[in-house]
Amino acid sequence: MPSQANCALPQGFQLDQYRIERQLSLGGFSIVYLAFDAHDTPVAIKEYLPNSLALRKDGETEPQVSDEHRLAFRYGMKCFFEEGRALAKLMHPNVVRVLNFFRANGTVYMVMQFERGRTLHDYIQKHRGELKEMLIRAVFARLLNGLREVHAHKLLHLDIKPSNIYLRNDGTPVLLDFGAARQTLASDQPVLKPMYTPGYAAPEQYEKDAQLGPWTDIYSVGAALYASVTGSAPPRADERAVTDVLQPVARTHAGRYDAQLLELIDWCLQLDPLARPQSVYALQKALIHRHAGADRPENWFSDLGSRLRSFIGRT
Amino acid sequence: MRFTIYQESRTGQRASNQDRIAHCYSREALLMLVADGMGGHLHGELAAHLAAQYIAQAFQREARPRLPDPGLFLSRALAGAHHAILDDALDRLLPEAPRTTLVACVVQDGAAYWAHAGDSRLYLLRGGHVVTRSRDHSRTQLMIDQGLLQPEDAHNHPGRNRLYSCLGGNHAPQVEHSPRTPLRDGDILALCSDGVWGPVGDDSLVTHLTATPLSQGVPRLLDDAERRAGPNADNLSMVAMCWHDEDNPGPASAESISTRTMAIDDFTTRLDMTSMSKGPASDLNEDEIERAIREINETIRKFDQKR
Repeated sequence: MPSQANCALPQGFQLDQYRIERQLSLGGFSIVYLAFDAHDTPVAIKEYLPNSLALRKDGETEPQVSDEHRLAFRYGMKCFFEEGRALAKLMHPNVVRVLNFFRANGTVYMVMQFERGRTLHDYIQKHRGELKEMLIRAVFARLLNGLREVHAHKLLHLDIKPSNIYLRNDGTPVLLDFGAARQTLASDQPVLKPMYTPGYAAPEQYEKDAQLGPWTDIYSVGAALYASVTGSAPPRADERAVTDVLQPVARTHAGRYDAQLLELIDWCLQLDPLARPQSVYALQKALIHRHAGADRPENWFSDLGSRLRSFIGRT
Repeated sequence: MRFTIYQESRTGQRASNQDRIAHCYSREALLMLVADGMGGHLHGELAAHLAAQYIAQAFQREARPRLPDPGLFLSRALAGAHHAILDDALDRLLPEAPRTTLVACVVQDGAAYWAHAGDSRLYLLRGGHVVTRSRDHSRTQLMIDQGLLQPEDAHNHPGRNRLYSCLGGNHAPQVEHSPRTPLRDGDILALCSDGVWGPVGDDSLVTHLTATPLSQGVPRLLDDAERRAGPNADNLSMVAMCWHDEDNPGPASAESISTRTMAIDDFTTRLDMTSMSKGPASDLNEDEIERAIREINETIRKFDQKR
């Protein structure tokens, strides 16, 4: 039986100090709204509302949670708090910023900075892959700054994919959605296993008791790079582990991109965690330093912002 | 090994029980412990809980069925428990790590080894007398040692609860280790929190623990301590063990335990978790929700100020 979809809060709804404008996205675990605070600053509000455990009917504000689901609902709330805890500690221009956390309507809400732009997913769709090499290198090099910050806090993102990478109008990337984020040292056994996205999840994420680490996020970064080049996600890692049908982009896209970039993507997508780049820093260095002797204007990096703007445009 | 063991923990007149007690044995080794979470500090109960759990788990990991080195085990387990408390405080973004006293004792090869930090005590009773007890890491004990205070005046002294060593908190614990102490038939080892030894004297302790089997003696001793403390009764906890010579031909008491027939990798554990045992990891009560939200917002504000 397909679970009934939850109804979003209506436009104009006064939620704590925020006024709901519209729904931005609907996931299995939450609804994200665009809202305005008391100073009319736009914010993104994520509402904890797991589809399978809570139901909000049209016209109601408080979701109904049956007695049998109450414990699981509370457990999921704990996971939602973990996301909040994870994000609250991070302050980085390439990581979405949490502004507030509150309780209302029998559930909990996370308020985040609202960013204008579009997701890398939309951008790839629009251009059917084949993103310009300069754009790919520039976006991912900056994104990895954010990911380094994440890893420096002993956190893993675990759900990096183009739809979780947001490109601001100025071209700088922001890493979104830490719903799957996990403290690397946490010992909690998840009852509600986070939903991984096929194609972007590393092979070890399909295994029980596998060692997850920075290399796990690095696989996903490789998959997002792969999508930027080919226009679609690589084959599912759990299927690849049985019969690997992945064609190295170094072969399929030779000539269209610099060989070093293509090799880098294939390197990240190795099934064996140890065969991948072992740290985000190593990967980032390889992304920035194309190859020794490549000519690059002196001010290439300082000028990056305006270059990105010209790539992406204002709308 | 053959022994009789009994443990009990009571809340007394306090709102919650911040004591944790446990015993655990394999075929060849026995662990007993008492942890008393420090109430004046945040989450004392949590610190006691973590320490008890950590040490019991370490024992089960290493006593298979013998500990290679009981003294070293205690030293590592207590240090590990201390760090487990600090790590947990870091994860929860607590401004200060919670604290707990701890006394733990291992028996193996007919000898006892114990270690403690704080004022939870271990007594060794032999032939109707206290032959050894651990020295409290408290200000009053220091003053007694220096001749500034008479032992009989100590229990009313304001410094009684000032401890200079414990697990958790901002300072590394000063753990005190006993020498290897061979046990004799009939020896009693009793570990307890200050809620027990505070109100009663050594005489009362000896009388209750030696007159009747421990399963009656310990509850009577706790009754006595609780009655004397009256409305101020602190949490009261005790783990007591009476050692029997395995070869002693005397009639084995019905309550005594022989580990001789235990499988090599078998453990029997009793960890009294009282208030924290009711909910598995999945439960989240109203207070915890409020606390989680408060903590997240505190972190957000803290980082906002840096911006």
